[in-house]
Amino acid sequence: MGETFACSPGAWWLSLQVAGVVLVLFLTLGIGLAYVLTLPIPLRGLLDSMVSLLLVFPPIAVGFVLLMIFSRHGPVGGWMDEMLGWNMVFSFPALVLAAFIAGLPLVVKPIQAAIEGSARDLVEVSQTLGKGRMATLILVVIPAVRGSIVAGLVLGVGRSFGEVGITLMLGGNIIGATETLSLAIYNHVLDGDFTCAGHVSAMLGGVSLLLFLLLQHFGVRR
Amino acid sequence: MNGLMVDVRFRHRGFSLDVALGVPPGGVTALLGPSGCGKTTLLRLLAGLERPGDGVIQQGGRIWFDSSRRVHLPTRRRRVGFMFQQYALFPHLTVADNIAFGLPSKRDRLARVNLWLERLHLQGLERRYPGSLSGGQKQRVALARALAPEPDVLLLDEPFSAVDQGLRRDLRLLFQEVIAAQGIPVIVVTHDLDDARYIADRAGVMIQGRLRRLGPTEQVFAQPGDVQVAQVLGWSNLLPVAGVDQGHAWGGWGRLPLPASARGRHPDRLAVHPEGPRLVSDGDGLAGQVTRVMGLGRRTLVICRLEDRTPLQIVLTDGCAVPRLGECMHVRIPLDCVTPLHNGSLP
Repeated sequence: MGETFACSPGAWWLSLQVAGVVLVLFLTLGIGLAYVLTLPIPLRGLLDSMVSLLLVFPPIAVGFVLLMIFSRHGPVGGWMDEMLGWNMVFSFPALVLAAFIAGLPLVVKPIQAAIEGSARDLVEVSQTLGKGRMATLILVVIPAVRGSIVAGLVLGVGRSFGEVGITLMLGGNIIGATETLSLAIYNHVLDGDFTCAGHVSAMLGGVSLLLFLLLQHFGVRR
Repeated sequence: MNGLMVDVRFRHRGFSLDVALGVPPGGVTALLGPSGCGKTTLLRLLAGLERPGDGVIQQGGRIWFDSSRRVHLPTRRRRVGFMFQQYALFPHLTVADNIAFGLPSKRDRLARVNLWLERLHLQGLERRYPGSLSGGQKQRVALARALAPEPDVLLLDEPFSAVDQGLRRDLRLLFQEVIAAQGIPVIVVTHDLDDARYIADRAGVMIQGRLRRLGPTEQVFAQPGDVQVAQVLGWSNLLPVAGVDQGHAWGGWGRLPLPASARGRHPDRLAVHPEGPRLVSDGDGLAGQVTRVMGLGRRTLVICRLEDRTPLQIVLTDGCAVPRLGECMHVRIPLDCVTPLHNGSLP
C-alpha cells in the first residue's frame, strides 16, 4: 500500500484536489446546466448538441481546441494574458477545466433526462402553485431527481479521474506540477517502470470500481 | 363577475385550435372530445403552460393573456389550481407537505392543511409519501393540493381516468360537493361521458380544435346538434341517409318517415333512440336479424342487423318478449324516436 503511494505521491494529491474542485463545479454548474437545458430558452438545441458532442468527440482533439482557445495567442487566452497578466495553460485551473469538460456530459445528460422524464409534470405543478424557476429547482427538481444527480456526479468524477487526452493538451503533463494519476501511469510506462505503472493502475481501477459499486447502490435505492 | 373569458387561437405542428368560451364561477364545465381534439391543450393554454398564437384570456378583471397588448401572465401568477392526469404528486414530500406546497405563509399552514385533509377524507395519511398511496388517495391529495391555496380557477385534466371504475362513482360525488362549494370557475377535461353527466352542469364538445357545442349538460346530451357531436356523446344507431322523398328518408337499411319539422330537408343521418323501437315478428317496419342479445339487469340489449347489415341497438324494457338469436324480425320505430342530423362543418 505504502509502496503504491510512494510511486507518485504528488499525482495522488493533485488528482484528489482536481476531483474535489470538479465535484463542486458539477454540483453547481452541472445541475444548473441540466435544468436550463429542460427550459424553453433560445439556442437550447445548440447548447444541448454541444454538450452531447463532447461524448463522441475525441478527447485529444477537444484538448487541442481548448489549447488553441486558451493559449496566449488564442482568443480567450490572449485576452486573459492582456487583462490579468495570467496564462491558464499548464496550470492547476487548466487541469480542472479539462476534468470538468470531460465529465460534463456524463453529469448533465442523466440529470437532464430525469428532469424531462419524471419531473416535467412536477415542474409545471410547482408553477401552478405559485413557485418561480429557482424555487422550483430547489424545492422540486433537485429532490425529485436526486438519484440521477448522484449517478451523474459519480460518472462525471470517475471520468475526470481517468481523463488523459484533454489534460495532456491543456495541462502539459509537467511532472511535479500538472501530472495527474492517469498521466503518472503513462509517464511510468515511458520510463520503463512497469511496477509503479501497475500499482497506480490497480489503485485507479479500485477507485473506479468503488464508484461503480456506489452507483449501483444508489441505482437500486432509486 | 369572476368568470373566465377565453378567445384564443393556437397552432402547433399542423394542429390548430380556435376556441371562444365563457366559464361562469360556481359551476362545473366539462369539455368532452376524442383524444387529440385539443382539450388538454386548451387547459394548458389557460394555465399559461402554453402560449396562444393570439387572442385574449381574462379572469374577473385580470388579463392573463392579450396578444394585442403583449400580455402573457406567467403560470405562477395566474392563481390556477391545475390537477394533472397522472396527479404529479411530489414524490419526496409527505401528503401534508404536498398539500401545503402552494400555501404562501407558514402562519396558518397547519390549520389549512388539516382543513383539506378533512374535506377530502385524508386524515391519518398526512405523514405518508405518495408512493404508498392508492390511486383514489393520490387523486384526492392532488385535488387538495390544487385547492388549498384558494385558486381563482380550477382546471382538472381527466381527473378520474387513473381510478378504478368502482371507486369513480364515490369520488365523483365527493369532487362535485367540494368543487361546487368553492364558487370559482371549474373546467374538467374528460373523454368519459359519465364524468360529464355526474359532475358537470355545463358540457362542451370539442372536435379537431374547435368547440362545437356548449350548453347545459342534459340539453347537450339530448340535442347534440350534428352527427359528429352525437358520435362523441355516445349516440348509437346513426343510420346513413341516401335519399329523401315524400316525407321519408331511405338508405340500404330501409325507409323511415321523417318528423314533420324535418320534412323538405335532406339529413345526413337518422339517429334512432335505442329505447322505443319494438320488435315484432311480422307486419311493417325495418326488416332485420337478431345477432346479439345481452341482459342488462332489468333490461335487455338486442342488436339487430338491418338489410344492409347496419347494426341497430334496441333496449327492451321489462315485460317485452325477448327475441331468439338469429330470428328475423321487423323493427317498428315510433316517429318520436327518430332525430334527423346533419354533418357538422369541419374546419
